Amino acid sequence: MTEDRSPDSLAGLVDDLHTRRQRALAMGGEERVQQQHDKGKLTARERVTLLFDEGTFVESGLLAHQHALTGADSDPERTPADGVITGEGLIDGRRVYCAAYDFTVMAGSMGMIGEQKVARLRKKALLNRLPMVWLLDSAGARIQEAAGSTFAGSGALFYEQVQMSGVVPQVAAMLGPCAAGTAYIPGLADFVPMVEETSSMSLGGARLVKAATGEETTDHAMGGSQVHCYVSGVGDLEVGDDAACVAAVRGFLSFLPSNNREQAPRLATSDPRDRRIDDIDTLVPANPRSAYDMRKVIKRLADDGVVFEVKPTFARNIITTLVRFDGRSCGVVASQPMVKGGALDLDAADKAARFVWLCDAFNLPLVFLQDVPGFIVGTEVERQGIIRHGAKMLYAVSEATVPKVTVVMRKAYGAGYFVMNGRGYEPDTLVAWPSAEISVMGPEGAVDIIFPKQIAAAEDPGTAREQFVASVRETIDPYIAASWAMVDDIIDPADTRRVICDALDAAATKRPHRVWRKHGIPPV
Amino acid sequence: MAEVKAELVGNLWKIVTEVGQQVEEDDTLMILESMKMEIPITSPVSGTVKEITVKEGDVVQEGQTVAIVE
Repeated sequence: MTEDRSPDSLAGLVDDLHTRRQRALAMGGEERVQQQHDKGKLTARERVTLLFDEGTFVESGLLAHQHALTGADSDPERTPADGVITGEGLIDGRRVYCAAYDFTVMAGSMGMIGEQKVARLRKKALLNRLPMVWLLDSAGARIQEAAGSTFAGSGALFYEQVQMSGVVPQVAAMLGPCAAGTAYIPGLADFVPMVEETSSMSLGGARLVKAATGEETTDHAMGGSQVHCYVSGVGDLEVGDDAACVAAVRGFLSFLPSNNREQAPRLATSDPRDRRIDDIDTLVPANPRSAYDMRKVIKRLADDGVVFEVKPTFARNIITTLVRFDGRSCGVVASQPMVKGGALDLDAADKAARFVWLCDAFNLPLVFLQDVPGFIVGTEVERQGIIRHGAKMLYAVSEATVPKVTVVMRKAYGAGYFVMNGRGYEPDTLVAWPSAEISVMGPEGAVDIIFPKQIAAAEDPGTAREQFVASVRETIDPYIAASWAMVDDIIDPADTRRVICDALDAAATKRPHRVWRKHGIPPV
Repeated sequence: MAEVKAELVGNLWKIVTEVGQQVEEDDTLMILESMKMEIPITSPVSGTVKEITVKEGDVVQEGQTVAIVE
């Protein structure tokens, strides 16, 4: 008996289903897919395939498409999946939701049906307490559907993102343009990798800018990774291509739990927790005035030398990086003496505050490596508002209830010592190296403030000043802080990894209480 | 041609290059004394030092051009 494949038979209906599915899976058609590839970009479907563990992606809304208000213009051929691929799958075995905008369909513009699909994903991500990933490559709102005052009903996506903030991780990967208000998607996300050359984001695209202000620019010049990963700090990581971008999403999520009620997965390691770093003196010069690259120190301390640095090219005078200690996922906040001497400025304070909030929200312990000469002072930074930015970092570090470990390596001056989790900020363990200098300010500054009259009255003011400086310098001594039990211990620098691992074990059950309040009022 | 700029305000302690010298990218050109640190000012590009616009002992401002490398 031959199979009945007539259109009315079940087999025939299944054939029709497959035809429809194939049509949608072809996205915007061969020509547009080729154009996408010619720009050096992958298609939305290729990105989704790379993002998830093989064969785990389950799509919803494949057969959706745009509907014109009159009904006559509705065209499934023109808008497969309505320009956005939505669904869920596994990343390293853990479930994650994903919306991938398809530039081959009406330039990835955000249409009404597509946005309903994404809204459903956001709701599920919050309902099931699982991360949400956006793969952005979109011209923005589909103006054909959105122009006019029905705009009054829009905008809930950002409200929802705010509700998700600190509950589930949110990642916005920039793989193409993301113009207009939709740039708030990355603006509210926890991690924003950007592809060099092809990605951009701005509140107004180049054509809108021209119309609004007359300024001539391009989307890339205004909002490429060279702006957002280096200057504005909106981007978290510049990557070379789409594959590297998707790999960065996977890498970032590997350090985080699925939600704020879980711990990040602990990864088995063969790296001994008590591994000594016997050549640490080749990495850190004893002369406190000499610079060195703190990134090398962090690599030596971390499990297997693996680090995942967030904002590596923005505010480089401070380092914020995800690492593991004895398999435990942690955030490291470290001074970078190589850049601006490791002194803190506005951007450094912002970068650190944001990172501390991220780690605290998702139960990642914090490790502070101090070699900080203080906050930069002077007219310029005051005009920029260094007080409120510095206060923001104080605020974030004070609020954080996760285990907090501080190692004072060399300098720990002034408010720099405070914001890097000094004694007053509830460190679970605070240790210093023998090279530590903890003080409100350096000896020269102190002498010029305390002894100006004595120096002026001296027969030889130069020698007098030097003597005063020497006497103040003697009071900057880590053993004084240890003798007052203000630091828990002075440690052999080569043992720093073991000390950190011990401290994290000891604080693993930490559950601090805070006074009830609706919320504090953080300085911004 | 690249302008070498100071990344923060400070006292220009030492100039360790001279006009006409060949330099590589990231070579130290001068050392700034600021925030209790000796902070190297490095060349953003490889090339020849064409001009030095400051002298030792000067106070330089953030963003100030201190040299030109071509």
